[in-house]
Amino acid sequence: MTAYDPCAHCEEMMQPYMDRVLTDTERAEAETHLDECTYCKKRYRFEEKLRQFVRQAGQEPMTVELKTKLAGLRTPLQ
Amino acid sequence: MSETTREPDARRLATDARDRVRFEEEALALSDQVYRVARHLVGSREEAEDLMQETYARAFRSWRSFQPGTNLRAWLLRILTNLNIDRGRKIQRTPDLQPLEEGDYFLYNKLEATGDGGSDEDRVVERLSQNDVVGALSEVPHDFRDVVVLVDIGDFTYADAAQILDIPIGTVMSRLHRGRRILKQAMAESAVGGDGE
Repeated sequence: MTAYDPCAHCEEMMQPYMDRVLTDTERAEAETHLDECTYCKKRYRFEEKLRQFVRQAGQEPMTVELKTKLAGLRTPLQ
Repeated sequence: MSETTREPDARRLATDARDRVRFEEEALALSDQVYRVARHLVGSREEAEDLMQETYARAFRSWRSFQPGTNLRAWLLRILTNLNIDRGRKIQRTPDLQPLEEGDYFLYNKLEATGDGGSDEDRVVERLSQNDVVGALSEVPHDFRDVVVLVDIGDFTYADAAQILDIPIGTVMSRLHRGRRILKQAMAESAVGGDGE
């Protein structure tokens, strides 16, 4: 087996960390490592920014025409 | 005698009509949020618009099967993802799953290595364009993309996504994990090219 690599472990923890599904102990463990490792810290910060970027990418509002069409699908009032 | 039976009937009909109108109004009020997810699930605006119309037509027809007090946005998206599976996937070939050796730091490392030497996270993320994201998302195989879009763009919890897609929560987690990595790999290729150009 290869030796324990704290950065590789931290990388594995990144998605669950961002998703806030780590246990308190795991979270504290990741944060302790992040405090002392700029390599991982940079990459965690990048991931945070990346997620915001992905969330905002290609956001185009619905057209008024589509809104009107959807409203037109409602059951007519008797 | 007929008066006494007709009266509750009329009241029931009125209540029914009111419930339906309320349902329709609530569903329409969520349409912007539903569209946001729909637009990222399919490749084009036209497809997203068709899917929205099919979804709302079906939702308005089967409104009685919605349980008041539960998550209406999730209910609408369950209809939408099912319709999307039925219509879109018949014509799309299943892409080959590429081996995925790269970890979660891959995209950052790639962008940093091919940049102008700066490693500031803000500057590195600025090297991506919105088109990189949109294009990359369309390259993520459907099963993975559904989960990534629902959780990362639709803000659904793992549990909601599991319910919407009718898959176990463990499958949501593994697809999310892998789907995000595929997305990053595709973004890296789109932003800097496969050969680091």
